Amino acid sequence: MKRYLGGLFKIMPLLFGLGFLGPLIAQVLTLAGWALPWGIAPLAVGMVIGGIWGGVATLTGRWL
Amino acid sequence: MVAVPDSITLHQMDARALNRLEKEVADQFMGGLPWGSIAWGLGNLAVWLSLWPLTLTGVLPLWAAFPIATLNVMLSYLPSHEAQHRIIAREGEPLFWLNELVGYLSTIPLVLPYQVARLTHYEHHTHCNDPVLDPDAGTKAAGPWQSIANSIAYRQPGAKGQAAYGDCLSRLGTPEAQVAGLQALAAQLAYLAILFAMAWTGHALEAALLWWLPRHIGVTYIQFFLSWAPHHPGTGSGRYRDTRAFRSAVGNIGSMGMQFHIVHHLYPRIPLMRTPAAYWALRPILEARGCDLEKL
Repeated sequence: MKRYLGGLFKIMPLLFGLGFLGPLIAQVLTLAGWALPWGIAPLAVGMVIGGIWGGVATLTGRWL
Repeated sequence: MVAVPDSITLHQMDARALNRLEKEVADQFMGGLPWGSIAWGLGNLAVWLSLWPLTLTGVLPLWAAFPIATLNVMLSYLPSHEAQHRIIAREGEPLFWLNELVGYLSTIPLVLPYQVARLTHYEHHTHCNDPVLDPDAGTKAAGPWQSIANSIAYRQPGAKGQAAYGDCLSRLGTPEAQVAGLQALAAQLAYLAILFAMAWTGHALEAALLWWLPRHIGVTYIQFFLSWAPHHPGTGSGRYRDTRAFRSAVGNIGSMGMQFHIVHHLYPRIPLMRTPAAYWALRPILEARGCDLEKL
């Protein structure tokens, strides 16, 4: 159990990027009314940014 | 009121007489039910909880709710702090349930379980400014801006500060500390689950502005005023050296009474709202002891 939870918290920045930042960025883009090229969905942009940011934070141990 | 002699007389008093006088003066400020802190803790939580339905139903705009939520998080720690020191009621007293209720509920916006706060805070008092044993020692910084930068760095996923409270509980190793560790884990998982659920049901911005961002601002504020400022420079040890009095640019209310935090470290059972009066009564004695009272 401890091992699984340890693993979960190790990748938590990535999960946070995908689970929270992605939808948050998407909601901000939608509210801002920005038209994305080629009909890209705001959620797709949010997931890419959130996923990359969270992934980098997981690897480097820093969000900023 | 106990009369405090002039500074010349205080300097001539022997250690035992000075200790006795200090205790007599401090005793005047203890006891009674701190209704202000009880109302503060429970009222603050009620306001923060009410922001959720009010914003989700469109009654209150999010831009108005955000500063209120931020203030709620900033205000959420100190009522629990009163409970941690059993100021509302001690174990075995009829109102101990109220002490625990305030302790458990008030820090919900901060995602800091009461028992984690209580056990680690006792360690802070016992080992104040010790770089290893004081779980708050990581907030030490050369100046105010570095303190804010440290607070942000302290919360990065790979930062040492992330593990300070967990390490402290592991070091304690008691069954109570193990339970507190599980509570910390459960609280963190519940917090993240709520944020994720809100985000994936189309309410990411509400979750961000009512909880996530207010919590980051609130933690920075709390670490600045409750941890860094009263213990700066964070090098002193011992009863009269590990905490100081200071004059805050934002006043007593803006710094939530922390200008007088030295009184709390000397007499943790004096209620927060009485620490200013206790400080002014004790000040000549503290001055005679050579405490750092800055310009206050």
